[in-house]
Amino acid sequence: MVSVPGMSMRKRVAFLFLFALVCIGLLIGRLGWLQLVRGEELRAKGDEARTRDVPIEPRRGVIYDRNFKELAISVNVDSVAAVPIQVKAPEETAKLLAEVLGVDYNDTLAKLKQRVWFVWLKRKIDDATSIKIKQLQQQGKLQGIELTQESQRFYPKANLASSVLGIAGIDSQGLGGLEYEYDNDLRGTPGRRIIETDAQGREIPEGLNRYIPAIDGNSLVLTIDETLQFIAERDLEKMMVEHQAKRGMAIVMDPNNGEILALANRPDFDPNHWQDYPEENRRIIAISDTYPPGSVFKPVTAAAALDEGVVRMTDLFYCGGTLRVPGALLHCWKAGGHGSETFSDVIKNSCNIGFIQVGMNRLGTDKFYKYLQAFGFLDLTGIDLPGEARGIVTPRAKATPLDIAEMSFGQTLTTTPIQMITAIAAIANGGTLVRPHLVKEIRSPEGKVIKSFTDNAVRRVVTQQTARELSVAMERVIEEGTGKSAYIEGYHLAGKTGTSQKVVNGRVSTEAHIASFVGFGPSDAPRLVTLVVVDEPGGYEQFGGQVAAPVFKDIMKDAYRYLEIPIRFDPAKAQKNEKPSVAVPEVVGQELAQAKNSLYQKGLAWRVEGDGDRVIEQLPPGGVQVPQGTTVILKVGPTGEVGTGEVLVPSIMGKTIREAGEILGSFGLKINPSGSGLATAQDPLPGVKVKRGAIVNVQFQTPPP
Amino acid sequence: MFERRLWRNLDYPLLLAVLALMAFGIVIIGSATRSGDVSAASLSFVKRQILWDALGLVTIFIVLLFDYGFVVRLTNVLYAANLLGLLLVLVKGRTVLGGQRWIAMGPFQLQPSEIGKVLLIITLAAFLKRREGKLSRPRDLVPAFLYVAVPMVLILRQPDLGTSLVFVAILFGMLYMAGARGHHLAVVAGTGLTVVVAILVLHFQYAVDLPLVKHFFKDYMMKRLVVFVDPQIDPLNAGYHIIQSKIAVGSGGLIGKGLFGGTQNQLNFLPEQHTDFIFAVVGEELGFLGAIALLGLYFFIIFRGLQIMANAKDTHGVLLSAGVLSMLTFHVLVNVGMVAGIMPVTGIPLPFMSYGGSSLLANAAAVGVLLNVGMRRQKILF
Repeated sequence: MVSVPGMSMRKRVAFLFLFALVCIGLLIGRLGWLQLVRGEELRAKGDEARTRDVPIEPRRGVIYDRNFKELAISVNVDSVAAVPIQVKAPEETAKLLAEVLGVDYNDTLAKLKQRVWFVWLKRKIDDATSIKIKQLQQQGKLQGIELTQESQRFYPKANLASSVLGIAGIDSQGLGGLEYEYDNDLRGTPGRRIIETDAQGREIPEGLNRYIPAIDGNSLVLTIDETLQFIAERDLEKMMVEHQAKRGMAIVMDPNNGEILALANRPDFDPNHWQDYPEENRRIIAISDTYPPGSVFKPVTAAAALDEGVVRMTDLFYCGGTLRVPGALLHCWKAGGHGSETFSDVIKNSCNIGFIQVGMNRLGTDKFYKYLQAFGFLDLTGIDLPGEARGIVTPRAKATPLDIAEMSFGQTLTTTPIQMITAIAAIANGGTLVRPHLVKEIRSPEGKVIKSFTDNAVRRVVTQQTARELSVAMERVIEEGTGKSAYIEGYHLAGKTGTSQKVVNGRVSTEAHIASFVGFGPSDAPRLVTLVVVDEPGGYEQFGGQVAAPVFKDIMKDAYRYLEIPIRFDPAKAQKNEKPSVAVPEVVGQELAQAKNSLYQKGLAWRVEGDGDRVIEQLPPGGVQVPQGTTVILKVGPTGEVGTGEVLVPSIMGKTIREAGEILGSFGLKINPSGSGLATAQDPLPGVKVKRGAIVNVQFQTPPP
Repeated sequence: MFERRLWRNLDYPLLLAVLALMAFGIVIIGSATRSGDVSAASLSFVKRQILWDALGLVTIFIVLLFDYGFVVRLTNVLYAANLLGLLLVLVKGRTVLGGQRWIAMGPFQLQPSEIGKVLLIITLAAFLKRREGKLSRPRDLVPAFLYVAVPMVLILRQPDLGTSLVFVAILFGMLYMAGARGHHLAVVAGTGLTVVVAILVLHFQYAVDLPLVKHFFKDYMMKRLVVFVDPQIDPLNAGYHIIQSKIAVGSGGLIGKGLFGGTQNQLNFLPEQHTDFIFAVVGEELGFLGAIALLGLYFFIIFRGLQIMANAKDTHGVLLSAGVLSMLTFHVLVNVGMVAGIMPVTGIPLPFMSYGGSSLLANAAAVGVLLNVGMRRQKILF
């Protein structure tokens, strides 16, 4: 050691020693961290990598209607998965799969190259594809690709009751409707197959191998009757098309036990292809939407007043068309008012003024709220569907007399349709509130009843006496009141119309209406209660009696037949039903909707013949006295455009010169009168097509005295 | 030439420690290559490693026969032979795992870069000995860097990043003991590290490659350098190694799963488990205690080696010892660091443990040189 002095040499050696010591110390520290601190976690990671846990999907339970017709079933389909480590030629395999499965090549290749045990390539493929894959496997071209059986939900009736059934997703998980609500019952318990493998994914013979079978899901037996459901949907659909309504729904329920027999919803969707429909279509209007019930609510006010004894059916009321209440001047729907009337007539006429007096003056706030609560308007009904909304009712403490007045005829408060029908069901069944429900029984896969929902009475709301009296009054609504368009002889239907103004953007709209009708039958021992709610019917007809009542009538008619409910003709009633005669209004020349409205106001029915939107002829003609309920035939034709259009000549037989001139004028035609008195002949004849502006020769004669 | 005095001066504890490592290595290779069923084929690794160990001991013995001073005369020949070997492998070599490292020698394959390390130590010792005391200025370091750079570039071309880094470690260790100033070396090392980090950051964060970088660094090499920071950067290759290795080591816990009981090892989750990742098998099957025992053996060898260096009779002996110690220490730190997930995956074997002939013979020769220096520490007194 010449140039490196001894001291320096020692220092350098010492430095190197310390350097080595520190480095080895750091390594030991790192090993301690991995082995002593993170040991358990890393061990678990290793175990996870080593064991393959293959899930075994349980079969989802069947959903039956009340007569064990299948509404939702699960079928076995194949899914394609890969065990990437066993894939020998990822590029070729991915290419083949891209061809056969229609999946993206790059995506698939990336999946095949993943360091995982198991990766889905395509779930739930069809049979043809499955066969192709099996063929390729037999040719040894798809090493490491596996077909596993999964179950897929299938709805054999497609759209039928779709909103109620809901949907199940790709992993057979309930995503909406009953599929969601009863997911825990339907889903079952997945089984597992746990095997230990080596790094190549091969099973280790002496390794862990456990098989835990899946437990299939339980089945639901619904209260829904497939046939009634079909009837309700068909009749609702007919109305939707006829009236161009925005949305609509109909509920048919057994008032005695709350079993929902049918629940129709428009728009709807096909649960087999639910992705193709907007999410909005899956909304269950009956439970998710609240609306001001309008006049349909009036029976509740009446029931409360009758039950409290503050009013009798024979009590007299006076309706002058308006009523001043603290803070507002309220109107009856009928301009000029109903005059003097009994309470029974108030119900029959759906007279707002009468109900205001009963609700605000006779019942008062406390009793009114007592019955709101009793009829379930302050609670959820507890129906077994997800997403039940809560109706909005002004809190008791904040309620003004004006609120009570308006609530008495069904405004200012909102309810869900299911709440409304449940309250009416309590009147129908003799006074007991029931819990509406859709599931009758839950059964094991073997068919054993696990749970049945039998006790559905919630509480007594009104006495049987009250309920009976009100039922009779509601039968009058259909026989002679605003619900006449729902009348069927011998069916003994009781009901109530309703037309409410929609609240749009926080303001009461004068254009957008909700037309509804609720009713039940037979009125003395009801088997069915039905509510029809139509959201924003288009066109001129907006009233519940015009839009919703016919749907109710159609549903009840077919339901009576299907359920073989006896029809009883009551001779006494038939006589009483000698309806008062009315004068047929003159509607020739009017637009069709306007004409229908005129007939409706008079309590007349109509049948439309021809194509077009303007009445050119009517039978019987205007001014003739006929019994209420008589059908007036309306012939219609096109209006035509001024100058170019052609019109059908209207009938002006029997008209005065002046009337004839007005009618022809409304078609853009000119009159050439001769004689005086009433029209006895015209040329051209009614129904002949002429140019607008043409001249019609009309002969008038004075009728004999 | 062979006096009893020399044999008395032989560092037997160090030799014993090396023998212990060899035995340890044989057992772990046995476990690492057992692979489920014990068959003759899987024992072939053990048999061959025993053969290599025996040849290693013979190598040590042969190296001991010559006085280390004797090689000074052969410096230029050995330097040329080193370059020739490395050139040969570039021309005729066999490519394995992305690196062209082997040339066939009869039934065996030789890895010139392994032998190259020892040749570098020997030639650089003679080179630096001539410059003894003339290394205090930064520019004095340049010739030494160039001297090492030539074989190193050839190794980088294989490409074998790990071994070229060993060359750097040897150079720095020997320069330090030859009298280069510590802070000069620190600045060079710091600069080098900074440049590498900058290259990597540019490559991975900004996808920019400086000129010439592509020429020497393949993408997979760069990935390996950073993969320990985030195994997901290369989850299929080096990242997978790191993940599995950490699981193996970690799951060993304090006392391990027992020899032949490591699931990561036995079920082949652990890659290269009989070569580069053999330490992970130790960690998994023998636990923290086994790992400490093994590191203890290495530390003991380093400790004895430092003593030999401190007591060497001349600068040449000091430099030779420094080279050998740098090489061994670097191998241990980088290999164990890699297995533990705190060092890049560079493919550096664990001395006397990892399966492989070239590496074993090279390490044996290196230890032979060290023992040689220790044996001849006393100046001959006349």
